[in-house]
Amino acid sequence: MYKFAHLADCHIGANRDPVLENLELTAFKKAFDSCIQEKVDFILITGDLFHANIPDMRVTNETVKKMKEARDRGIPIYIIYGSHDYSPNETSIIDILDSTGLIKKIVKGEVVEGKLKLEFFIDPKTKAKLAGISARKGGLEKNYFEILDRDSLEKEPSFKIFAFHSAISELKPEYLAQMESIPVSLLPKGFNYYAGGHVHQCCETSLQGYARIVYPGTLFAGSPKDFEHSAKGVKRGFYIVSFEDKIEDIQFKEVSVCECLYFEYDASNKNSTQARKELLEELRKIQAEGKLIVAKIKGELSGGKTSEISSSEIRSLLMERGAVYVSINRYGLTSKEFIPVKVMGEDISAIENRLLIENVGAVKVSNEALQGEKGARLAAELLKALRQEQKLNEAKKDYLERIQKQALEVLELEGLK
Amino acid sequence: MGEIEIVGQVIGGKVAKILVRQKSGKKIELGDLLVVEEDGALLILQVYDLGYGSQVPQSMRELLAGLKLEGYGTELSFLEPELRNYVMAEVKALARIKGNEVNIPKTLPNFFSSIRHITEEDLAFLVKPSNPVYLGKVRSGSKALNVDVHLNAVDAFTHHIVIPATTGRGKSNLVKVMLWSILEQNNLGILVLDPHDEYYGRHGKGLKDHPDAKKNLLYYSSTPPPGTNTLVVNLRSIMPWHFEGIVSFTDAQLDAIRMYHNRFQEEWIEKIVHETEVEGVMPRTLDVLQRKFDTILGVCLDSSSKLQCRSKVFSDTAGLTTTKEIANALENGEKVIVDTSQLLDEAELLIGSIVVNELFHKYQRYKSEGKLDAKPVVSIVIEEAPRVLGTDVLANLGENIYSKVAREGRKFKIGLVAITQLISMIPRQVLANMNTKIILGNEMAIERVAIIDSAAQDLSEDDRTIASLDKGEAIVSSNFTKFAVPIKVPLFESCTASPQKKEKDKTVFVE
Repeated sequence: MYKFAHLADCHIGANRDPVLENLELTAFKKAFDSCIQEKVDFILITGDLFHANIPDMRVTNETVKKMKEARDRGIPIYIIYGSHDYSPNETSIIDILDSTGLIKKIVKGEVVEGKLKLEFFIDPKTKAKLAGISARKGGLEKNYFEILDRDSLEKEPSFKIFAFHSAISELKPEYLAQMESIPVSLLPKGFNYYAGGHVHQCCETSLQGYARIVYPGTLFAGSPKDFEHSAKGVKRGFYIVSFEDKIEDIQFKEVSVCECLYFEYDASNKNSTQARKELLEELRKIQAEGKLIVAKIKGELSGGKTSEISSSEIRSLLMERGAVYVSINRYGLTSKEFIPVKVMGEDISAIENRLLIENVGAVKVSNEALQGEKGARLAAELLKALRQEQKLNEAKKDYLERIQKQALEVLELEGLK
Repeated sequence: MGEIEIVGQVIGGKVAKILVRQKSGKKIELGDLLVVEEDGALLILQVYDLGYGSQVPQSMRELLAGLKLEGYGTELSFLEPELRNYVMAEVKALARIKGNEVNIPKTLPNFFSSIRHITEEDLAFLVKPSNPVYLGKVRSGSKALNVDVHLNAVDAFTHHIVIPATTGRGKSNLVKVMLWSILEQNNLGILVLDPHDEYYGRHGKGLKDHPDAKKNLLYYSSTPPPGTNTLVVNLRSIMPWHFEGIVSFTDAQLDAIRMYHNRFQEEWIEKIVHETEVEGVMPRTLDVLQRKFDTILGVCLDSSSKLQCRSKVFSDTAGLTTTKEIANALENGEKVIVDTSQLLDEAELLIGSIVVNELFHKYQRYKSEGKLDAKPVVSIVIEEAPRVLGTDVLANLGENIYSKVAREGRKFKIGLVAITQLISMIPRQVLANMNTKIILGNEMAIERVAIIDSAAQDLSEDDRTIASLDKGEAIVSSNFTKFAVPIKVPLFESCTASPQKKEKDKTVFVE
């Protein structure tokens, strides 16, 4: 019997706060230790190992060290890009690690006469056949699925795994209803295991023609919403799959690095002074010691400013009481006296995308590429290119040139200077 | 226009029954559109009955026929037969046209007016409205003229459409033609509950072949072709009120449902299936509910007490966002086809009920927030409409979301396209709310009476015309047309001939 570990959405480097960064790395190390201990035959990471294509070097170093431990014990690490660690413009850390042989990108294929023909990668030890499609920004990998030559993949005999980093429409959790997704019918049928990534909640299910569709979810947290779900009881971890010529067993391995606690306060029908007083009283009752607290403050204040309920005050109070970290969600807090700009989204980029889509119509332009969703997507890409920070030791001139070059690439105006 | 060809002359009659003598050598057909030109205006007439006229007494005609039949005088004939024997047409005035002004005629045509067939130029007043939905070509008798008939889709769909016809008269072809013409418009959301899986075109031409299908068409099926969506609805998306008027429950069962829903919220069905005890609910009631859910939803417990979803359309793990996604797509002006061909009636109507409820409440909210104007009109195409709009059904099961839409959907920009063979089963109050009727052929007298009684225009003389409508021939009676327009619906396949839009870019694969 062989075993492989299936991880996804580790999002190393997502959390800048030192405490969270440390927890994030701990979760990753724990998962890899567990893989080593279980003597898995290979590890499959289905996207977003890192939170960015060029992550912070310190966390990268820590991650690489742990992955090397596994490699040194003869456990190969197979990987596909996620939506975060892929960049259309520059090399990704994934490419560098692939070049060093530490990890192996398993996606291989070419477009022949309009059809995407994928090649299988065969794990030398177990002979498991792996094929997959990496993610691209904004769910653009859907185009690949649409032209995928499914027949040839379906005909391939023996044990096979399909790796992907996309949400499946039929399996999306309710809170991700707005997320870009692909219908399951775009996946080739008949694989023994569908190794998914991108959805941050673990899920193991089947649909007609698709025996095992598995999302491990995030190992720790890639967005503030993940903290909320963890605090509400969503388990974090990865899967260990035992197989021979078919799946024999699938086990979820929980990775817990910190106790999370969810706190919710509804400030409706109170003015800011009353709400602040009552909120702080409630917070004092919490057993915060050693916990990661997710505090959600919502409701419409009958008077006063929402800013009078201070996040820093909440944070200080809980930290003083021993909390490891405090994540505050106050998007749902409004005041009758102030009309906020209402946005919904899972994270900053989702909110940003929504705002761009909602407002792109207000800008009158004749160029079709700048209109509608296309225009919003372009604007998001452009913003991303423009908001990059200057790298350590990078000359200002080089920085400006780099940003300018990437912005022009996004706009497909590379020829302009 | 060439020389006017006179086909007949007005010789008498009254407002709804103008008598026209047919010119010898010319043919006037049942349903023909004829024109009288007078005072710089055109009066459009339509033939609704034909008969013989003769100056020769009946006994003489019988005698002459006898002589010829029995071989006494095969060469015998009437003197100047074209003068003595002729065809009489009963016609009614449809419209008076002066320039682009169309009025319902209030006067008779001049006595002895010459009559000719209608020409395409006469119909220049039929202009393409904004947000057009294409219905076909103007038809005169059995001849299609090269004049397109469109309705303003926003008006027509908001005020409901009913399409009555018996089997094989081209109902689904008509609906496909209509949907094809509006597929590119994103100010109209259409939900098609398709019990015969005939709109998408899984095995032949269908709406999937439209150049904008990729952008504007969603297809849900329990056996989805690649690229389309699996029809799977999570049990947690189903609320007690979705069953209203669709499934019959006793008072005790309704009480039990209420109690389970109050206590377990969205998990109420799972808890009933799992036999979780709730005080006040009799085991027998629970048993019956389990059996009902087993039949309708295909959910039951297996030998290890694990919940199983046999039908695959209802699931405890998948499909949490399906109904939301469909509602969102409709709200974005997309067209959604739900293939219900593999579902039982109740399951099909239930899925429609879940989606329409979701949409209805959203649109109600938009109205209260003053945002409704910016939203597209949404219409629900439902086959065999008496299943939800029938007098018996409404009397026995009470109101359902479809009848609610028929009654008050207009206020919220939600309409129905009700397709039926048995329009007589739909109550008059409901039919009265359906302001456009696209009438195809119907050989059942009782159905024709119901159609004529509920039409937007006076079709009291059209019983025979409706009975004689051939496949693809129809009459559009609508509050949004000045008169009942006879049309010929083209074959759907002829609409799909337009070239596909070319893909702009080649895909570059990133490994």
